[in-house]
Parts: sequence; C-alpha cells; structure tokens
Amino acid sequence: MAADGPRRQPVTGLPLAAPGRRTHTAGPLHTGRSRRSPRRRALLLILPAVVPTGAVVLAALTSALLSSLGLTPLVGQPRLTLDPWRAPTDHLWTAAGLSVAIATAATVLAALVGLATALAITGRRRSGRLLALLSSATIPVPHVVGAAAVGLLLADAGFLPRVLGVETGWPPLVGGRWWIAVVAEYAWKESAFIALVVSSALASRVASYRDTAIVLGARPWARLRYVTLPLAAPALVASAGISFVYVLGSYEVAWLLGRPSPEPLPVLAFRLFTSLELTARPEAAAVAVATAALALAAVAVAAAALRRMEGWR
Amino acid sequence: MNGYLRLTGVSLRYGPQQEPALDEVDLEVPAGSSVAILGPSGSGKSTLLRVAAGLEEPTAGSVTLDDVDLAGTAAENRGMAMVFQRPLLFPHLDVTDNVAFADRVRGVPRRAARRRAREFLELVQLAGFERRTPRSLSGGQEQRVALARALAAEPRVLLLDEPFSALDAGLREEMYELLDELRLRLSPTILLVTHDHREADALGDTVAVLDGGRLLQSGPMRQLYTRPASLAVSRLLGGRNEIAGEVRGGWHHSPLGVFRVATSVADGPGVLLIRQEAVELTGADADAVGTVVRVRRRGPRALVTVEVGGPDRPGTARVTAELGPGLQLEVGRDVGLRLPAEALAVVAGNARQDGVEADPVESVDDGQR
Repeated sequence: MAADGPRRQPVTGLPLAAPGRRTHTAGPLHTGRSRRSPRRRALLLILPAVVPTGAVVLAALTSALLSSLGLTPLVGQPRLTLDPWRAPTDHLWTAAGLSVAIATAATVLAALVGLATALAITGRRRSGRLLALLSSATIPVPHVVGAAAVGLLLADAGFLPRVLGVETGWPPLVGGRWWIAVVAEYAWKESAFIALVVSSALASRVASYRDTAIVLGARPWARLRYVTLPLAAPALVASAGISFVYVLGSYEVAWLLGRPSPEPLPVLAFRLFTSLELTARPEAAAVAVATAALALAAVAVAAAALRRMEGWR
Repeated sequence: MNGYLRLTGVSLRYGPQQEPALDEVDLEVPAGSSVAILGPSGSGKSTLLRVAAGLEEPTAGSVTLDDVDLAGTAAENRGMAMVFQRPLLFPHLDVTDNVAFADRVRGVPRRAARRRAREFLELVQLAGFERRTPRSLSGGQEQRVALARALAAEPRVLLLDEPFSALDAGLREEMYELLDELRLRLSPTILLVTHDHREADALGDTVAVLDGGRLLQSGPMRQLYTRPASLAVSRLLGGRNEIAGEVRGGWHHSPLGVFRVATSVADGPGVLLIRQEAVELTGADADAVGTVVRVRRRGPRALVTVEVGGPDRPGTARVTAELGPGLQLEVGRDVGLRLPAEALAVVAGNARQDGVEADPVESVDDGQR
C-alpha cells in the first residue's frame, strides 16, 4: 500500500519554509495580479452604491461648509467669514459635549446588552431563536415611534409609575437632567442592531472554536475571555461605531424626550435651520459641519480599531 | 501523557425515531498505542471521537480513562485534546499564544506558557514561526501548530479527527512522518479517525472499521486486509475482488475455480475475497486463466481486470489485479492468475448484500460500483 504514495522522507529533511516568509502553496496562476482581480471586481460591484451616496454626502457637506463660511448667503453678497462658527460658540461646545455624552452612554449600554444578547442567541438553541426573533422585530420600529413609546412608559405620568403605584417622587427620566429616557431609547433600539450583527458574526464559527477551547481545557469563563469575546470584537466594534455615529446625528429622540436646554448638536442644528431668522442658516450649517466632523472622527477611531483586528476575522 | 481509554457499549441517538449514530460500540485504546477508526462519511466516526472527548453525551454505554468512568466529567476536565480536520487556530492569537493556550487557561503565567509553547513548536519543527499569525501560515504549517497546541495541553489521550485529510499527498506524508517522530518521543495514546485506509494503515497500530454507527471489525491492518469479516469491511479497505460462489465442505466453488476456505464458513453461498495486490499475473502454474478486459493506469502501476470463464465452467468471474511499475498488458490478451492461498478469504452470503447489486455468478469490480 505504501507504494501508492510518494516515498517518505526523513523528518530532519522536511522541506519547511524559512521563518519570516510565507509559504505559497499555490501554483504560478496565483500571481499578484490574479489576487487583485477579485478586489477590483468587488470595487466595481459596489460603485453603483458608493457613487450616488458619495455624491450626495459630498454635495451636502460642501454646501453646508460653504454656507457656514458665509459663501452662500440667502441674502447679501458672499463674504468669507467665521461669524457663523463664532455665533453659537458657547452653544456649540455644550451641544458637542452633550451629544458625545449621550452617544457614548447609549452606545456602551447598547454594546453591553447587544453582546449579552448575541451570546445568548448563539449559545442556546431554542431561547436563542426567540431572542433573535425579538431582536429582529425591534429593528424595524422607527426611532420616533420608539421615543413615543419610551415617553409613555417612563414619564412621571407614564405606564411604569402607574404600574408601580408611584404617585409622587418619580424621578424625571423624561426631560430630566440626565437624559435617561433618551439614552434608554437609543440603547434599546441599537442593542437589537448590535445583537444581530454580533450574533451573525459569531454564529458561523463560534461553535467550532468553542469546542476547540473546551478540549484544550478552557472552562466557561476562560472560553468567554480568551475565545468568544475576541471573536466577537470586530463585529462589536463595527456595529458599536455605526450606532455611535447614528446616535450622534439623530434628532427626533432627543427632541421628543430631552430637555429644552442645553440642546444636543442635531436639535440645535434643526432649531437654527428652522428659525424665522434666515441669518441663522449659516450657524445651523456650522453646527451640522461640526456634527459631521465628530462623526468622521468616531468612524476613524473605529476603523483604526478594526484594522488592528484585521487578522481576527 | 498516556492513558488507557475504553469505550463500552457506547450508543448515541439524536432522537427516539432516528437511526442510532452509534450502536453499542466497544473499543479499547491501550496506553501509548494508536488506534485508527476507519469509516466512510456519515459512519459515526467523528461522533465517536466527540463522545470520547465529552463533547457529546452517549445515550448508553460508558467511557473510561484508566478505569475511571468519565460520565458526568465535563469535556474540559477529561484530560483529552483534539485536533480537528480544520486546524481552527485562534485567529486573534499568534502562533506562540495559540500553542500556549492550554497553559494560559490553566492559569500559567504568560511568560512561562510562551516558553513552553516554543518547546512544542520546536517539536513540530516550526521554530522561528513564533510571531507569525495563523493567516500567514500554509495549510500544513497550520496543522503542525494545531498538533503542537494539542500536545502542549499534555493530554492523556490525543484525539485526531481526520486532521490531515485537507492536505495534499506530499504534506500528508510529512505529517505521518512527524506523527511517527512524536510517538517515538512522547508515546501519546492516540485515537484517530479517517476515511482513508492507507492513512489508517500508516498511523494506527490497530484499526477499527466503523459503518452505520456499528463497529464491524477491529485488529491489526494486515489482518483486516487479508481476513475481512464482511464485504463491507473489504470494500472500506479498498478491496476490489468479490467472487460470488458457493461453499461446500470447506471449499469455495465459483467460475474462478475451486479454492480451499481457510476460515470456518458454513456451507451455502459465499463470496471469495482477495486483494488486487495479492493477485499475481503469470504465464504458467496459474490457478485460473482469463482474458484482459480492462486496464486502468494508477500512477506507475495499473489495475488490470481479467475475465475468467469458459465453455467448461458455468458463468464468468472478473478479477482485478495490480500490475507492477513498468509492466504493460493490453486488452484482449490471455493471462494466467495465481491466487495465493494465504491471501484468500471467504465471507458467507452473496455479493448482493451490503446494498450492492451484483450478478450472483459474475462478480463486479470496484470500478463499476
């Protein structure tokens, strides 16, 4: 039987690749050019989506930037000026801080709940399917509907204090100092999104890696720490980044459930944009550009984190 | 690093209405030995390994390690490590940290774990690859790292689930050599599964043939080759010759001729088995004479199918023989066949059993199945 295969070589003579170099087992057809081709094809395939989206975003940002610099006034002559940026300065810094705080709190909560849900979805067969169904059902609910529902639930005359029989002394969750209802609504909705993204990423491979870890002696906590969390990290960072940027730029929930003052960036931008004073439009544009800059910074941070995890996927 | 593994009456059903995935399997893996489970896809061989590892709970039977029943012992506490068909290296860890994984989850400090990992990497001849990521390794290198990772866990039984089946022939041979080397140095107890009888022969001291969740036969590979207990075993081991006939008084009668039955077989229908490698093509002193009806090249060798039968014998029989390197035969040529008595085996029944349709007189060779 041994004659069927190639002759054995002594172990010491095994043709191993030199350290530091990758051994390519592919033949000559696998040239650099052929490896790039699929990437180029993929780029061509996404162009129909990227071009219009990019055009709209670029046009909108350019228009907002020009307006914020006084170059496209509704009345009067175009004049390069930073006045629209200076006018809401106090508001701008406060609004930026408030927006980042709300987005951070909501994203952290959503990431924790979403991760826990994803682990439950991938770890349990029957209840996991039910959880996945509930998460899927949450996603199509519009934020404005969710905000109304959270308002009806958490307000001092809402459903929850009535159920609990609290007539006085209910904390100001809606419109209060700590923006709890706003954060809760975003965390609820975004946690469902994060749960689905993370569970999808884990579903295809966590079982086999979990079995590998088990037979290497890893107990449940070690498996979570050394295997499951690292495997979930890329999807978690990506979906949390998307959620952060969404919450940062979202208007309706903060407007419905938040305090009148101070205002987060999107609410401030909307109020200035719809002001009776047309001269406030450039200020609204400045706030919008500032919001976009913050969002881009968050995207850059998430992208950098994902690049570090590139090999993990 | 070597325990005595014993499976007794292990059965597994996934549902009351379903066929058992494992049906009362008994298997012993003595300390320091290597036992190969051979079976086709879906035969239950990977399931058996998962039951031994504790990843599946048997519905009946027991798994003992050094006479300690492992029922109720979690898989992570069984002292077994497993290498899967895919290397499944943790993508977020480099090569060293992958090998150091078992020590790390046991609470060994990182520096000490990494130092030990480097020793095991040297053992699998991957010194210098410590900082590499799994993505930068070839398939063979990945499987070496997976082997080093499993060995670093210092298991009492090493379970190998078709670990080399995704590798090309050359790399497989390298891995066989490596495993031989590791066995000489560490004497681990190994239970491996494979669908390749050559791999089972190369890696197992003994081989257990599994099909449909049942253990059909076990023993040294030479014995299985020359004395298969059934047609199914013969086929799983790559046997091509099944000559249907009848056993009368310890002799097998068929269109091929009359041959002494070495084993005890009751009178009645019986199938004569002989491996193609054992059939000699000769010009003189032939046990049977026939005509070459087919020649198929197999690398330097060839498989020659000879049809035997004539006016003095009812029916025909086809016998496949392996032709040595450099030899040639053309279709239509008359040749003699010598069938060594020690290579002949007879199993009761006829060639229709085990789901294979064959003429009761004319045997069908493997190429036509």
